Amino acid sequence: MNVFAVVTATVLVGCRAPMPDVNPEPPTLRRLTNVQYANTVRDLFGDDIVIPGELDPDERFNGLLAVGAGRTAFSPRGVENVETSSYLLAEQAMEPERRDALVPCTPYAAEDPDCAEQFVVSFGRRAWRRPLSADEVSRYAGLGTSAASTLGDFYDGLEFAIAGLLQAPDFLYRVELGAASSGDIPRQYTDWEMASRLSFLLWNTTPDDELLDAAAAGELSEESGLVAQTERLLASPRATEGLTAWFDDWMHFADLDDLYKEPLVFPHMSDTLGESARQESQRLFKLVAFDREDDMRELLTSRRTFVDRELAALYEIPAPVRDGFAAYEHPEESQRRGLLGHASFLALNAHPVSTSATLRGKFVREVFLCAELPGPPAGVDTSIPPVTEAARTLRDRVQQHLADPSCASCHRNMDLVGLGFENFDGIGRFRTLEEGVPIDSSGELDDVVFDNAAGLAEALREHEDLGPCITKTLTRYANGYREDLGQLEALNWLADDFADQGYQLQPLLIELTSSPLFRASAEVDTSPLEEL
Amino acid sequence: MSRYSLDRRTVLKGLLGGAAITVALPPLEAMLNANGTALADGGVLPRRFCLWFWGNGMIPERWTPAAAGSGDAWELSEELLPLAPVKHRLALVTGTEVRLGNRIPHWTGTGGILSGRDPFGEEGDWTFSGPTIDQILAQEIGGATRFRSLEIGTRPGGGVSFNGPNSRNPFEGSPIAFFQRIFGEGFVAPGEDPIIDPRIGLRRSVLDAVMEQTAELESRVGTVDKARLDQHLSGIRDLELRLARMEEDPPNLEACVRPEEPGTDAQLPNVLERGRVMGELAAMALACDQTRVLSYCHTGPVDNYVYPGIGDGHHRLTHDEPEPQEGVHQVVLQIMGELSAFISTLEAIPEGDGSMLDNMLLLGTSGVSLARTHALDEYPLILAGGACGFMEQDVHYRSTTRENASKVMLTAMRAMGLNPPQFGDGETAATESLGAIER
Repeated sequence: MNVFAVVTATVLVGCRAPMPDVNPEPPTLRRLTNVQYANTVRDLFGDDIVIPGELDPDERFNGLLAVGAGRTAFSPRGVENVETSSYLLAEQAMEPERRDALVPCTPYAAEDPDCAEQFVVSFGRRAWRRPLSADEVSRYAGLGTSAASTLGDFYDGLEFAIAGLLQAPDFLYRVELGAASSGDIPRQYTDWEMASRLSFLLWNTTPDDELLDAAAAGELSEESGLVAQTERLLASPRATEGLTAWFDDWMHFADLDDLYKEPLVFPHMSDTLGESARQESQRLFKLVAFDREDDMRELLTSRRTFVDRELAALYEIPAPVRDGFAAYEHPEESQRRGLLGHASFLALNAHPVSTSATLRGKFVREVFLCAELPGPPAGVDTSIPPVTEAARTLRDRVQQHLADPSCASCHRNMDLVGLGFENFDGIGRFRTLEEGVPIDSSGELDDVVFDNAAGLAEALREHEDLGPCITKTLTRYANGYREDLGQLEALNWLADDFADQGYQLQPLLIELTSSPLFRASAEVDTSPLEEL
Repeated sequence: MSRYSLDRRTVLKGLLGGAAITVALPPLEAMLNANGTALADGGVLPRRFCLWFWGNGMIPERWTPAAAGSGDAWELSEELLPLAPVKHRLALVTGTEVRLGNRIPHWTGTGGILSGRDPFGEEGDWTFSGPTIDQILAQEIGGATRFRSLEIGTRPGGGVSFNGPNSRNPFEGSPIAFFQRIFGEGFVAPGEDPIIDPRIGLRRSVLDAVMEQTAELESRVGTVDKARLDQHLSGIRDLELRLARMEEDPPNLEACVRPEEPGTDAQLPNVLERGRVMGELAAMALACDQTRVLSYCHTGPVDNYVYPGIGDGHHRLTHDEPEPQEGVHQVVLQIMGELSAFISTLEAIPEGDGSMLDNMLLLGTSGVSLARTHALDEYPLILAGGACGFMEQDVHYRSTTRENASKVMLTAMRAMGLNPPQFGDGETAATESLGAIER
């Protein structure tokens, strides 16, 4: 058992009971996501480096690609892509205009083992986010030197050292295993590991030199040093981009890459609509979480948003004067409120030719309230009755569907919420009629009655599970796993703290990263796998 | 002589996350075939396997032919009519079932038929429990070629080829990328000299260093991560093999020519058209013996593609269209049209005295039968090809006793020259193949 004794965070809160003890889950390797790989490569070699295509697709588990990164293995094709990519990058890195920034010495001949070692020491620490052992230095420097001898050129040889470093699991995976400390201090992530954890959480990329220097100085295993670095990272514009990756993952926006709506039904559909919709929501997130440092629940109820011409046409509002996005505030009487009035949510959670109360309701329950819904039963007919004279609207047809008690037990939870968005069609355009019949989008969310989507947004904002769900999702993203019993009490504490701090993201991040939820590690789990 | 040596135990252990599966060692013939130069001397022709998967099943009533039998004794049903040009190549199996408690819609069937095991985990958190048939075969017969296996598809979703838990083989979705991977740098056409480049040896040294590094890391991580790293190592071994193949004489196959470079993705926006181009490239990859195991994912298990002229997404229709589900039927017809075209492409490639299809087996299946209820009885199974004289062709076998669908998987493995004692696990385990479709 691994219980982390807590030093109360003194940064922001005065008198509160300390966070309850945490029993962390055993650590697992997390592979760099495709975005992290690209960001990291840019940081290592420069913004103008040409990044080859993705390695292996990211896979979603427990609602997050960040959790999938801790579960999946590279496929053979992924390993092949890694190799190809490594050589394409190494070749660019050793171009004359780029290599001087990377190689800290001038080789005196094609074979210069000392210079090769100096390079591996300095580049290796940045690439692997930790210093290399002497054996490792000689392994990769040796590759470079022997290749230089074969090819007759120092830099051509060094490409092979770089390609090796970039194919090593120590680069491709985040190796954060923790270490036992001396005395009574429980096991926690090491300084080097904390540098990675902080950087990938806040910037979604590899640690910069200053953060690595802080790790080398032992500052990240101390609370004060850790908080200082967290605040430094958060103050940078890179945090805005980095944490947008969390928001994107939370909202399942990767699926917008494959958004498809039947153009005959939805003339507003285009190849670029998905990306526009994604940007609208990301801009609102940046406004709330960073520009205004506002209550995160504003994401659900804000009438302010950002639209480009394509979205303006879809929303039937004045288009921006210039290309690109411009701020816009929906009028009070509009049903569009926050994220749930965005095309991103409305179109993603609908069918190619129509809306879906089930998909929209399910998304609200799972993504904003962290409800654990049972999967659909496999052996039953789940069809919604077709349009008839008696039942023309989706609401009427769903009511028929819900008359079957075996469906109703689960579907009420989703469908009665999802019907609140029926004034928005399958792509997110406002409408008042369906099949010629006026739409009724009233309903209730866990006993709170609403008239339409605007009221639903208000009800969701005040829902008691919203704040805890944001806390949980962020912690899952930070740790790469879904919480278990050992972390629940601490998570509840963190959620209360989040509420006390006015639901602001940045104080939540400082509290999380300095807490045992983020710092404490368990032993690796070496028990045999269960027979499947 | 290749430096490649397969530590079978390690690979299987890594693949299966430590769980045991019974796969027989390949017969001697396959071992001999693993020598890539045998063909230049007129040796045994390669035997290939292709999985052809589509999502959302079919409509059993409109799918099952009225009569069973072979040759003129059976006729295609209305839903199978697009396969008329290749009927003489088919072994159609109807009336079997995937024997699993139906837990995860569309995926219990997919995992059950392809891996013989129930996927494990809960909704949103599940994965395959074991390797799929294409990967079981690739481990046995894939070592002889540049690519142990190839996976293609054109729709979102990642595909249905798994090495084991949490280890999917994502398919290639872009014709131009697929072309470059197979026929670009590293491809040697028959009659051409092997590639001589000192960089190949250097790349192998780098892989050796990476393997050493990986082994060191394995000693520090937990059991699950060790299995993941084993999987990674097996990918590296495949890569070493690929580099070694570049330095060898290419297989001397008469039908093998470097195909023309396909259009870019922007030039091929229609996924059906893109699929046909990919199919033609994949057929040539088989003809050139670049791989012997192909997995072609037409659509994923829950795909919602809006087929041309059908006004709604396929999955949506299967659940919400009133009976008799004419729209679903029209979609299945389009899918069978694509399958038929692909089989024709394979058949058109000459080999020996006949066609490449004489020396391969294609297995077509889906993740359900009737999608409306996610049914697992009346399972759709279409086989095509002669598998070097192993398979009956132009035959419809109708099981009247609801036999285990895994029997067909065992037939597929035997058709590839293997002799495993069983396919599947627990309820799905079959110890006998389906003799009626074997010669």
